[in-house]
Amino acid sequence: MQDYKDFKTRLKIAKSKLKQKDSLNDEKSGSFMGTAFKLGTELVAAVGVGTIIGFILDNWFGTKPWLIIVFFFLGAAAGMLNVIKTANRMQKED
Amino acid sequence: MATNPMHQFSVHRIGPEINIAGVDISFTNASLFMVISASLVAIFLFLGSKEKKIIPSKFQLISEMSYNFVAKMISDTAGSKAKPYFPFIFSLFMFVLLCNMVGMLPYSFTVTSHIIVTLIMALFIFFAVTVIGFMKHGLKYLKIFVPSGVPTLLLPLITIIEIISYLSRPVSLSVRLFANMMAGHTMLKVFGGFVISLGILGGWLPLSFSVALTGLEILVAFLQAYVFAILTCIYLNDALNLHH
Repeated sequence: MQDYKDFKTRLKIAKSKLKQKDSLNDEKSGSFMGTAFKLGTELVAAVGVGTIIGFILDNWFGTKPWLIIVFFFLGAAAGMLNVIKTANRMQKED
Repeated sequence: MATNPMHQFSVHRIGPEINIAGVDISFTNASLFMVISASLVAIFLFLGSKEKKIIPSKFQLISEMSYNFVAKMISDTAGSKAKPYFPFIFSLFMFVLLCNMVGMLPYSFTVTSHIIVTLIMALFIFFAVTVIGFMKHGLKYLKIFVPSGVPTLLLPLITIIEIISYLSRPVSLSVRLFANMMAGHTMLKVFGGFVISLGILGGWLPLSFSVALTGLEILVAFLQAYVFAILTCIYLNDALNLHH
């Protein structure tokens, strides 16, 4: 009987610990500002990189302003790809 | 000008000017605070691992917690293959975290609020991950630019988009950390300036904002260090376990 009681209290302690851990995890995923910032920078960074690549290629081939326009849109597409990838990863984590 | 909110970000020289081959490598306040952060990490971990007790002291407890935290993060995101890279990611996480936290002290300097610092770290990660990818998979690593199941007609376009997406990694990694730190610190300073200019009658409102923002900034400081480290793990995962 003594053993049984002992086991019960130990189980209770372990369960409450587990619950604490879960609530900690909730807090982490609850930081929406971090998530929003993450997606925003992904989108903007790719557009910037695409435009810079277009600018450099334009200077190389002397085709101003065509490649910068093309690569701006390719960069925007890459940004959306980044966002989709990140969002997929976030969904998998939940 | 103490009321200028951008004044806190200015870099100035401490001690003598050192010029080597036309490059100015003088010791600045930025370098001073990097040294402070790095040595704080070293002292903290040294104190934590000095005595190995079964019932840990506070320092030992916190250092073991930080170890476990990073170890779990790596195994969750990059799997067991990423274990050899634990020392790098752990030092990266601790350094960024301490830089952010030391920057929260009044009169201190936030190293991570300068894009050159974060960009160098991000570029190092980017090149290291690329080299690791090529070392593990050889030329097959180029497959990450060619997703499977795409019609041949669209393949060149998709490949270019994937390459731009890959190249944008260091930019987004560095800009995120830098922008968060800089925006937060500027905002704190602006609200602090409002307290002075509104005086004892109206100054209470911005003061309470300042207090709340300080709490938020400490959260952001931790969160950004965490995001920086976890994205490194994710990029490492892409290089180690080729999916496409």
